[in-house]
Amino acid sequence: MKTLLIKNAFVIDPIQHISGETMDIAVRNGKIVDDVKNPDEVIDAQGMLTLPGGIDSHTHICGTKVNFGRYMSPEDMRAGRTSRKGDMHATAGYSVPTTYGNSYRYSRMGYTTLLEGAMAPMEARHTHEEFRYTPMQDCLANTLFDGNWFALQAIQDGDTKRLAGILAWYLSAAKGFGVKLTNPGGTEAWGFGKDVSCINDPIPNFDITPLEIIVKMIEANEMLNLPHSVHLHCNNLGKPGNYMCTLDTYDAIPDINDKRQSLYSTHVQFHSYGGSSWNDFCSKAEDIARSVNDKPHIVIDTGQVMFGKTTTMTADGPMEFNLYRLYHNKWSNHDIEMETGSGIIPVVYRKKNLVNAIMWAIGLELALLVDDPWRCILATDNPNGAPFVKYPEVMALLMSKEYRDKEFETLHKSTGRRVALPAIERELTWDEIAVMTRSAQARALGLIDYGKGYLSEGAEADIAIYPIDVDSTDPARDYERIINGFSTTEYTIKRGEVVCRRGTCTLEGNHSTYWVKPHVSPAYDMSKDAAFIDGFNRYYSIRRANYPVGEEYLGRNVCMETEASI
Amino acid sequence: MMKVILEVKERHKPNLPIEAECITPKNFLDPEREFHVWKGNKELDITDIFHVRKDGTAKSAEQVEITIRGDSSHIKRVGEYMDGGKILIEGDIGMHCGNFMSAGLIEINGNADSWLGREMHGGKILCHGDAMDYAGSGYRGEKQGMRGGLIEIMGDAGDFAGETMAGGEIIIHGNAGDMPGVDIKDGRLTIMGDCSRPCGNMSGGECRIFGTAYDMLPTFRNEGLTAIDSVQITRFSGDYMSRGLGTIYVANCKYMD
Amino acid sequence: MQEIKDMICPFCGCLCDDITLEIEAGKIVSTDNCCTIGNAKFLGKNRLKNPIKKIDGTWTDITYEEAVDTAVEMLLDADRPLLFGWSGTHGEAQCVGVHMNEILGGVIDNTTSVCHGPSILAIQEVGHPGCTLGQVKNRADLIIYWGCNPIEAHPRHMSRYTTYADGYFLDNAFRNRKVIVVDVRETETAKVADEFIRIKPGGDYAVLSSLRAILRGKSDMIPDSVAGVSKTQLMQVADMCKTCSFGALFFGVGLTMAKGKYKNVRNAIEFVDDLNRHTKFTLTPMRGHWNVYGANEVMAWMTGYPYAVDFCRGVAFYNPGETTAIDILARKECDACMIVASDPAAHFPRACVEQLRDIPLVVIDPFETMTTTIADLQIPVAVTGIDAEGTAYRMDGIPIKVKKAMDSDYPSDTEILTRIYNKMLEVKGL
Repeated sequence: MKTLLIKNAFVIDPIQHISGETMDIAVRNGKIVDDVKNPDEVIDAQGMLTLPGGIDSHTHICGTKVNFGRYMSPEDMRAGRTSRKGDMHATAGYSVPTTYGNSYRYSRMGYTTLLEGAMAPMEARHTHEEFRYTPMQDCLANTLFDGNWFALQAIQDGDTKRLAGILAWYLSAAKGFGVKLTNPGGTEAWGFGKDVSCINDPIPNFDITPLEIIVKMIEANEMLNLPHSVHLHCNNLGKPGNYMCTLDTYDAIPDINDKRQSLYSTHVQFHSYGGSSWNDFCSKAEDIARSVNDKPHIVIDTGQVMFGKTTTMTADGPMEFNLYRLYHNKWSNHDIEMETGSGIIPVVYRKKNLVNAIMWAIGLELALLVDDPWRCILATDNPNGAPFVKYPEVMALLMSKEYRDKEFETLHKSTGRRVALPAIERELTWDEIAVMTRSAQARALGLIDYGKGYLSEGAEADIAIYPIDVDSTDPARDYERIINGFSTTEYTIKRGEVVCRRGTCTLEGNHSTYWVKPHVSPAYDMSKDAAFIDGFNRYYSIRRANYPVGEEYLGRNVCMETEASI
Repeated sequence: MMKVILEVKERHKPNLPIEAECITPKNFLDPEREFHVWKGNKELDITDIFHVRKDGTAKSAEQVEITIRGDSSHIKRVGEYMDGGKILIEGDIGMHCGNFMSAGLIEINGNADSWLGREMHGGKILCHGDAMDYAGSGYRGEKQGMRGGLIEIMGDAGDFAGETMAGGEIIIHGNAGDMPGVDIKDGRLTIMGDCSRPCGNMSGGECRIFGTAYDMLPTFRNEGLTAIDSVQITRFSGDYMSRGLGTIYVANCKYMD
Repeated sequence: MQEIKDMICPFCGCLCDDITLEIEAGKIVSTDNCCTIGNAKFLGKNRLKNPIKKIDGTWTDITYEEAVDTAVEMLLDADRPLLFGWSGTHGEAQCVGVHMNEILGGVIDNTTSVCHGPSILAIQEVGHPGCTLGQVKNRADLIIYWGCNPIEAHPRHMSRYTTYADGYFLDNAFRNRKVIVVDVRETETAKVADEFIRIKPGGDYAVLSSLRAILRGKSDMIPDSVAGVSKTQLMQVADMCKTCSFGALFFGVGLTMAKGKYKNVRNAIEFVDDLNRHTKFTLTPMRGHWNVYGANEVMAWMTGYPYAVDFCRGVAFYNPGETTAIDILARKECDACMIVASDPAAHFPRACVEQLRDIPLVVIDPFETMTTTIADLQIPVAVTGIDAEGTAYRMDGIPIKVKKAMDSDYPSDTEILTRIYNKMLEVKGL
């Protein structure tokens, strides 16, 4: 029973409605408790901003696609190489670092929970293998269903309950967490080199549209009572004029969960583009933000772009092929039979490139124009918009108009005519930043019930203590201090233990994997469904018996069991 | 002027490579500087590997001349990031000599191992003997190799000389191996002798071959005869498997039909 | 007699997972669904009984504990140890190997450097348009085998994924699917192809370049014959590729190890890239060892590089041609070596084998092999897929749990490597 007392912490904990109170936090056996006597360890956090551990609700850090990014990019590994030192293993890489590199750098920024944004169930074992070497954070994996043949067939047959049964089987088999749709229908069309243009475009070989996939998946998701909503990467990513597709999608989303959102719409910056070509490309963030403001059942993350080198990677295979044709850079594609696709290309976002400058502005506009920070999450879709190490800079930009204006000066000269950013005065508060980097994630992912995202009794003791004295820091002016302060914690605490101290990590972070296991009635149990088993063994290239990921791949884990209504 | 003489000591395991990127003229300007070299996983003081003699003083790298004596054929990364001054190698030199070099002169009396002047930006490397593979090339996964400066090889070059070359000049007085100038984008590659399969996927720049190009690739277009320094030579454009914006001059060529 | 179904064959990169084994009295007595090579592996003999150490030129039986101590001493003594092999063991053991190499300050390399290393170098230049094998089975109406002979090297590849495998969009694969074979000789696979392209040795690059120029509308400049292939045939093949609805190009060491090596593969990849502007096309290297792809995956997430990683200076450095086992050995640039689950003495050039013989050499392998004869110490282990289990990655990146059929007294690779690693930590005071 290890105990820890953090004294004099300056706490912001939006879930508990604590907005900057100096208080003590007691920890016993990995959980926050009311009080501890004679603690084993005492930390004096006098004058230090203390927040619940950071949560990234959409990042690409582990799995087949991420690892292929590493595999194909020895040039990326030239940066960020460190040797084994103390408890820390060797690391390498900048935009696609090694698993240890990701884990240590996130930990240094105070992040304790990470959601891998796209896991093909057929390759789930790989994601879990890498989770094991991401020791400083708890990990969850969104599971891809956008082109799943059994799911598409059930939708075509109008059988939403069967669809839910299929989702349940795959989620448990893959040890996944949430239902992810990436360019629904588009990845199936890409199987023959095609794409869909928006939600009403019929999908080749299936008599359904992307819209039907999205809506039926939301219904099925809620039948399973999953902690998280459907997590959607909209159709038509990255194309001029795609904001209409995004708005149409939002208009069609039903509001069917009273506890949380019905849809998590990810990296919305990439879906908020106006114009009819790259020549008249412009921001439509205002239209998107207005739509989100009107729809309390939708939560978004921003997908902020920051300037510099990075690697784009997504299950959206056709989109990556378009990028390849645009940039002529090296291109990898990896279709996953019966399930989904994926693609990777390295990119450089340049300040003097008008399109890139507009993209940068759109992400900020979304964060500033969506009124409710609980429904607008800060993320770069790491590493697509930028590597996650840029988060502190994004926070500073949102907290300081002066910093935004200074950066804006350095961009392509025409940017101002295509975006609304210079006119936006809003500067986000400490509380809002805390919401957008952990509390909103905990709520959107349904993790509050599992003790994440807050600091009161019973919560997991995941705590980030930053060397920022809020009382003496004016974020509007001292943005350099914001960047430095959020870049390296004084202490990162994971399940009650200090795992990172001023940037130096200790080896074992007491990691665990969170996964869902919905219980369905025997009629919808696919492991006993003859048609499912027969189709599986006929069309997959591995046997159904060899498909599920065993619990031996998880080590310490939290199985989130739910009772489905089917 | 400062003269530095580094004489390689006799070694117990002579084939184990020594990494000595600390050997650049600029580094010797600081009298307090410690010089470390690596023998495999052991970090050693430079005096464990070399007899070191320093004479005179210098205010800038340009006033420093380093001489390397003895068996330096397994000493790697000499002159990496060199930005001025001179290094004279009396014998052979190991891999990666002159990596990222931007100014100054490296003169090698013997042979150079592979990756001579990799990703070089400027300055000059003069190799009196042969150079192994990848002279003036790039690094794995990078788009650009040598970007500026001059590499002159008096003997032969191995395979992939000037691979992904994007600027500067390479002159090979002897023969080159297979695929010189493959994926070349810019710069000039001159081969006085023979080679095989020059400039596959060429997208820019110029290559001149005064000997015979064996297994000439079929995707270069013969643009007719011309003359360079009164030598009759055929001009080709290509590579037409991609955009075809480069030029090769070839005195003789043979195809694999 | 016990029958176990859905077992995984630990022989080649196909990782067939539909094997049935029959077990009697703690021994596998027969297999079903296996190819002949896999069958031989399951029924393999020559397993070493216990660790052996060469003392004054003769083999002496020792205990596992003594073997671990000896291995630790040999490797910690070295200035530049080389840890090679890895493709014949499971991923969990490979992870231990990487951790071990971090503290040893050695070079870790897998057998990729002697098979598809050039494929990886090419992918690092231009990427990899690929897919899983089931995608090919369900969709591909055109298959190209370039420089590979699956009938002999991957015997079930054609029946599980291509020529004879019916798929969702091809209910009669053999009739609806065209097969092109490109090789320097008429192999068994070539004999069943719809189109055989015979290339002169060393001509792959020129033929690929010509096909790409034809795709770009430059057929006028292509001569009547390129490296033994007629222009007529080139035109026909380019047309077949352009007009199929899903093409899949598989290639083997015939392409990767031919003159020009990785530039051949790069040209093949860019040919496939170009074809994607016309139709759907993918490319897959025919990986040899059952878990060589896993070795690449593990090393990529652990070190940042898929093979040939030099940790001598603490941070990872990668430069195939310099940090690859074959180059290090030929240049005598290492002074101790550990081989895990591989038999380099059977495949490496003579200069490399001589160097292995001349330096302290630890072998971790279940079987007596050619490499045993030049080793100083061999530690026998359980065979993954028979009496050990662990993760492997198929040639297309699909991770599969390789199950065990029975228990034995042998430690697994993971167990023995963990013991060696822990002992090293102890000796180094870490």
